[in-house]
Amino acid sequence: MTTENTITTDTALEVDALSVTFPSDDGPLPAVREVSYTLRRGEALGIVGESGSGKSVTSMAVMGLLPKNAKVEGSVRLMGEEILGLPDKAISEVRGQKIAMIFQDPLTSLNPVYTIGYQIAEAVLAHNAVGKQKAWERSRELLEIVGIPSPDQRLRQYPHELSGGMRQRVVIAIAMANDPDVIIADEPTTALDVTVQAQVLEALQSARRETGAALVLITHDLGVVAGQVERVAVMYGGRIVESGPVEEVFYRPRMPYALGLLGSLPRLDEARAERLTPILGTPPSLVAMPQGCTFAPRCPMAREQCHTEEPVLLRTLDNGDRVPAQPGDADAHVAACHFSDELRADTRPEDLFRATAVDTEGVESVEELDEAEASVAGAAEGFGSAGEGPEPEPEGEPEVLLRAEDLVKNFPIRSKGLLKRKVGDVQAVSGVSLELRERETLALVGESGCGKSTTARLLLNLVRLTSGGVSYMGKPLQGLTDKQMRPLRRDLQIVFQDPFASLDPRMTVADIIAEPMLIHRTRNGDAKKRVKELLELVGLNPEHGSRYPHEFSGGQRQRIGVARALSLNPKVLVLDEPVSALDVSIQAGVINLLEDLQEELGLSYLFVSHDLSVVKHIADRVAVMYLGKIVETATTEQLFEAPAHPYTQALISAIPLPDPVKERTRERIVVTGDVPSPADPPSGCRFRTRCPKFANELSEAERSKCVDQVPELRERGSGHRDACHYSEVVELL
Amino acid sequence: MLVYTVRRILGAIPVLVLASLLTFVMIDVSGDPLAELRMQTPAPTEEVIQQESERLYLDRSMPERYWLWITGVGGNGDIGLLQGEFGPSTQGQQYEIGPAIAERLWTTLRLVGIAMMLALGLAIIAGCVSAMRQYSKLDYTLTFIGFLCLAMPTFWLAGIVQASGVELNQLVGGQVFNTIGDGRYNAEGQPLWDQFANAFAHMALPTLVLMLTSFAQWSRYQRTSMLEVLNSDYVRLARAKGLRNKTVIRRHALRTALIPLTTVFALGVAGIIDGAILTETVFQWRGLGDFFITAVENNDSYALMGWLLLSGVLVILANLIADLLYGVLDPRIRYE
Repeated sequence: MTTENTITTDTALEVDALSVTFPSDDGPLPAVREVSYTLRRGEALGIVGESGSGKSVTSMAVMGLLPKNAKVEGSVRLMGEEILGLPDKAISEVRGQKIAMIFQDPLTSLNPVYTIGYQIAEAVLAHNAVGKQKAWERSRELLEIVGIPSPDQRLRQYPHELSGGMRQRVVIAIAMANDPDVIIADEPTTALDVTVQAQVLEALQSARRETGAALVLITHDLGVVAGQVERVAVMYGGRIVESGPVEEVFYRPRMPYALGLLGSLPRLDEARAERLTPILGTPPSLVAMPQGCTFAPRCPMAREQCHTEEPVLLRTLDNGDRVPAQPGDADAHVAACHFSDELRADTRPEDLFRATAVDTEGVESVEELDEAEASVAGAAEGFGSAGEGPEPEPEGEPEVLLRAEDLVKNFPIRSKGLLKRKVGDVQAVSGVSLELRERETLALVGESGCGKSTTARLLLNLVRLTSGGVSYMGKPLQGLTDKQMRPLRRDLQIVFQDPFASLDPRMTVADIIAEPMLIHRTRNGDAKKRVKELLELVGLNPEHGSRYPHEFSGGQRQRIGVARALSLNPKVLVLDEPVSALDVSIQAGVINLLEDLQEELGLSYLFVSHDLSVVKHIADRVAVMYLGKIVETATTEQLFEAPAHPYTQALISAIPLPDPVKERTRERIVVTGDVPSPADPPSGCRFRTRCPKFANELSEAERSKCVDQVPELRERGSGHRDACHYSEVVELL
Repeated sequence: MLVYTVRRILGAIPVLVLASLLTFVMIDVSGDPLAELRMQTPAPTEEVIQQESERLYLDRSMPERYWLWITGVGGNGDIGLLQGEFGPSTQGQQYEIGPAIAERLWTTLRLVGIAMMLALGLAIIAGCVSAMRQYSKLDYTLTFIGFLCLAMPTFWLAGIVQASGVELNQLVGGQVFNTIGDGRYNAEGQPLWDQFANAFAHMALPTLVLMLTSFAQWSRYQRTSMLEVLNSDYVRLARAKGLRNKTVIRRHALRTALIPLTTVFALGVAGIIDGAILTETVFQWRGLGDFFITAVENNDSYALMGWLLLSGVLVILANLIADLLYGVLDPRIRYE
């Protein structure tokens, strides 16, 4: 698609047929295959893809940062000059000066043993013959541009003294230190909370304004792409499979994969009723790349040709013809699909993909999928009759299963000396009251460190309460011994966040699922049969019980975790961030599964999550937590349509929508700064230090109330309660 | 940093007290210092035994003796660590434990100190080179040497090296290496060069033996830690800034890769003292190893206690130094 005439003065970066292969015991692994893209000066290009799609390796190859054993072919021209394969001296003059990079994890990308100032000044000094004093002044200036308060003090601090969001801004400051022509940002906000993500994206924008640099933004988050870039390239299996202007790709995808990604995404801007359409199967493994189109094994449109012939990137004309893009036309919307003409402007993801909860492990074709779905339904029926089964629809108000009153959990802070005296408390949870009713999904949301996971563990009596009370079906749990607790544990089960760490790698999947039954001696003879039922129930092949966890993908492992939790016929499942470690296309299937299971088995869920989009999709009621307190609780509809607390409003407004027009035109409520330390929470309202209302709208007199009085949760009507002295409903979506 | 240093030093005191108590109790219950005397033929008179027992303070109770050993209060002026006295010896009234230990300590420290420094320096170099050229021929060679040294017991290695030294001397037909004795007083009063040559000839082989084991262990650690750092995000960011490879290695990789090694180094001090006893025995040095063995043979409990406590102090000191070094290398520790 590229020829010599694309090199104009207009082009900042031109990547041509870039391929990366890693040697391995299983033969060479093609991590990136023939990736080409052009980036104009000052332009922003998004590269999206799931884990393993090769998007990070591509950018590392461009920077020349791959390990020596990687075989890199093709060409990378920066401002018209080839930079691939340059010797150390030459490439180090380019890096940091003309092209800079921002990495994913701000906690590990700064050297822990040098001060912030030293590390920024180092970048300045690497390319400028200035004195140390000058470099230090420039560092200070850079910190101001990326919006770090009191820069003089920060310059002398070490990375561990700064929060994640601050550190990422320092990395951005380093990237812009020498006015580069191109900045590559590799998942710059993935490790951050949404409110901090908004701040860091803002800092990235300032950096671009200041330097005029072109941006390559690599991310898995379609919302971030929709808001930040002009053009987007979708990567899959080491290749670009679709690229074009962001509106065209989002509103009129030409490749089933892009359409599928959009369909598998739970959306903040759409009603809950719509079921997600996951992309079945898992992304291709580098060891065994499929023949033909790499997406074909997961593609509902795939035919004979797709499995034999790999499609090239072509434009699809209105009459259905597929033609090569004009040389040099970077804006062309191209897709690598033999049948892209069959995707019409009005094709919706659900027209193509199935809204199923089944995983395709062991399912080869669409016909078999029907059988699998049928067998899942069968398994659920069998499940019902085998166990206690769902109770008949209750009449009137559903019964409260779990009730928490005024939960407090303090973790002691101890002195460093030999004596380890207690010098204070971290209030992880401070006065939380909740009710979980039968057949209900209650979501507990908040950013990291807000106490949501601790609350969930308190409810299960896995962590000892400092004060307050928890009761299950009227029976108090606090003070029960482990032995007394055991019969209740059958009803109360948990699914953990990390599907890789929560399954014992040395046990077979059947043993893992059967273990709770052995502990509780509920099944002695027919445990094997029951394991098969459970595997079928969670959409896995029942014959695979003898395998080990590492043989399964992340989504499948999470299904195993669910099966284990279900083995005792629980009434309540605590789901602690159950899908946050999964790629979106996989996540959708697990969400569908959880919804189906609730419907079929009459379960109640306590759904702990930081992701409001998922919460909106799955929850009946939501409780928003901030610094150990619930600040707002409401039904899902109420909360998203009429959020009352400024923190809830900020959270909702910080979540990027995967819709370029909506995302760019929406009104934003921005919070500043980081979450204060729970060891020393602000007096009065804990949110006031970051509250936009407190900062911008309230008068001095009104503010004193926020400082002095702790706001109580107050009823706004029909169960909607919030804890803000000056709450006011705002419509955001 | 000052607060940190003071805190670390204060923290070492209770450990030292505990070490002295354990040392005392363990030696005190492990044998009768008068056993040899009692078994002499003709049997010594009750009076002689009584006298010797009083001289060694064996007539007092155990807590009293511990107090005496530490403070010397109520003794005859030949006991009390706080007064610089190590206590009476079973090896005769003229034998003073303190000066004997001091003299031996210097002999041993010379050996251990030089061996440790050499091992550390070489381990850092070898570890880094290995990590930077992972899976190269050089890496494989260094790995092989490392595991070979790790696998060989010290006494056996010492024997081999000594035998090779003898062979070499015979081959050359002269005395290149001294394979016996520490030779500390051989060249006294001679020109500086002769003193040095003498010291080198005596020390080269034992130092080599003692060095190899620690070198092998530390270089493996350094390789692992360097590999981890080389693959870290901040080293990648340092490259992305446009720093030259050499600068990245020196400034960002090596500095942080040294942090784990300080701990391993401090833990290794006990092992190297251990190795020194064996090495000294094989090469017939009059160092702390020989002192220890003689003390055991003579049931000389105060000498043994002194020796054990001294080893304890050396280990505590090494840990203290490592802690302080840790503070210098890693700001996260310093400001805790």
